[in-house]
Amino acid sequence: MVIALRGVSIGYGSRAIVEAIDLDVRRGEILFIGGGSGCGKTTLLASMNTLRPPLAGSITIDGIEIAGAGEDTLQQVRRRFGMMYQLGALFGGMTLLENVRLPLEEFTRMPRAAMDDLARAKLGLVGLAAHADKKPAEISGGMQKRAAIARALALDPPIIFLDEPSAGLDPVTSADLDALIVALNRMLGATFVVISHELASIFAIGHRFAMLDGARRRLVALGPPAELRDHSDDPWVRRFLSRTASGEG
Amino acid sequence: MSGAAAPTIPGEMRADITTSVNGGALTVSIGGALVLDTVGGVHEALEAPLARGPRAIRLELAKVTRLDASGVSVAVGLHRFAKSMGIPLEIAGVEGDRKLLVDLALRGQDPATPPRPIGFTREVGQAAAGIWELLVDLLRFAGEVTVIALQIVRRPALLRLRDTLAAMARHGTDAVPVVGLLGFLIGAIIAFQTYDPMAKYGAKLQVADVVAVSIVRELGPLITAIILAGRSGSAFAAEIGTMKVTQELDALRTFGIDPVRFLVIPRMLATVIVTPMLAVYASALGVLGGFTVLGPKGITFTQYLVEVRDVLTVGGFLQGLAKAAVFALLVSAIGCLAGMRTGQGPGAVGLSTTRAVVAGIVAIIVADSILGSFFYTLGI
Ligand SMILES: Nc1ncnc2c1ncn2[C@@H]1O[C@H](COP(=O)(O)OP(=O)(O)O)[C@@H](O)[C@H]1O
Ligand SMILES: [Mg+2]
Repeated sequence: MVIALRGVSIGYGSRAIVEAIDLDVRRGEILFIGGGSGCGKTTLLASMNTLRPPLAGSITIDGIEIAGAGEDTLQQVRRRFGMMYQLGALFGGMTLLENVRLPLEEFTRMPRAAMDDLARAKLGLVGLAAHADKKPAEISGGMQKRAAIARALALDPPIIFLDEPSAGLDPVTSADLDALIVALNRMLGATFVVISHELASIFAIGHRFAMLDGARRRLVALGPPAELRDHSDDPWVRRFLSRTASGEG
Repeated sequence: MSGAAAPTIPGEMRADITTSVNGGALTVSIGGALVLDTVGGVHEALEAPLARGPRAIRLELAKVTRLDASGVSVAVGLHRFAKSMGIPLEIAGVEGDRKLLVDLALRGQDPATPPRPIGFTREVGQAAAGIWELLVDLLRFAGEVTVIALQIVRRPALLRLRDTLAAMARHGTDAVPVVGLLGFLIGAIIAFQTYDPMAKYGAKLQVADVVAVSIVRELGPLITAIILAGRSGSAFAAEIGTMKVTQELDALRTFGIDPVRFLVIPRMLATVIVTPMLAVYASALGVLGGFTVLGPKGITFTQYLVEVRDVLTVGGFLQGLAKAAVFALLVSAIGCLAGMRTGQGPGAVGLSTTRAVVAGIVAIIVADSILGSFFYTLGI
């Protein structure tokens, strides 16, 4: 188990959005998280990646408790993550190359030229090699997201969080991204936690699917996506996984 | 790190690299772990053999036991080197997921991307170029606005009256306190700074002349316009720029609505109407401000007002009004234009806003000197 949540409530201030979450993220799995707009997916990811402590309950990462942990502990744990934010969150004053190189400058010692090659390689992985020297403002929103994925991969972290990576991508690019996730997952055992509405991706590469329900404020399903679609007791879960069109986030 | 397992970053990771040259062809063979922790070393080990200018490169990766996305950068580096030298590169010993990763990473890698000038110089250069382009563009924009304005003159119903009134309130009424305060203080400052030298020549009362002339003809309109650039020019750029970024301008055009008529004309018209009024208000308070310095020196309010009335001419007053109107035209046009020219992405609106303010103030000062000499030649 790489991440374990026990009785976790997430929310803002004293207002819980989802309560009593029990969830284990297994090492080396590709876990998708889904649910309606505003049901708390991004908030859940923020709790797992230490940015927003849970209102209640326990979250451990590699066995280290992060609920109520000090900044030193959190800092250590954060080195194991790569995170792509829903809106990309690229540094606007830097080129894409500089965005991806920044974590390398901060956390590794290697020749500058090696960092550049490395950043270019990561940008190539997401199909942005030709745009390495552009600023985020000079590329489209979908490209910004991919650049943000390249930045999340900068240090080859063992755990990668992606918040709606394929929203706004064309199907071919989206399929390339799926292939990349699978390759990194199989080659290195990297663990992926991915928020997505892309049923095609969820069924193609997802090992398990976790579903939040905003109205009931619960984690209502957890399991292999195909199994949930066909056999979940919950009609809402079956419907979510069997609709054909994908929705917004 | 704690004792808990973090299996993708074990401590002992090594890359073994051997290079051999055969008839000018360089073979690089790598074994062991080609990962984040080892690529730096591999890069350094490759510098010398690459510096000798090989005629072909073969990268042999079959003995790599562990490859991560960072390790792939060695292939990317060699690929870019080979391309820039125009020599062939062969990558051998990768299959399946590894081959996929290498292929993905090499896509679109083109060493020909020109290096950019860096840092501060580039930023300043870009900003300056942006402002210059903006001022040049202003001429074309002026044409566009004029065409629409003439259409509106012929068919007044085309004017967005409600938006114009709202803009007058927002950019006129709301600016009254700050414009008044600055006018008052500037008047006081001028009186304060000129009182001593003038008093030396016994020309205490003539301080009123200095205050009245400089405020009404020059500083009243000028400070009003500069505040307008900061408050309204920037707001126009931000409002219209945001609409551009969120594609609302495109949406307007799709409906067949001209953004100039819909967004620009109401804002420009509103500022051209309210700015001269604000300038008069600023001037009036400036004259009042001057009295707060002279009053305590024994000059009565009546004396002061008579002096001001005698020195002020209708021409001077109209000159102030005309300047204010011209400044308003420039500032509002520049603000709207900067908004319409906003680029893509989250930083673009900020950039446009900055440009609107800087270009607006530059335009005010330039126009002021031109108008100043113009009125002087006319003898007003
Ligand atoms: N910073 C915040 N402060 C208060 N409420 C927030 C904040 N961010 C999000 N929310 C609310 O929390 C709920 C869940 O948000 P989020 O996790 O972003 O949803 P999702 O990612 O599933 O669309 C929403 O109702 C949203 O309005
Ligand atoms: Mg979200």
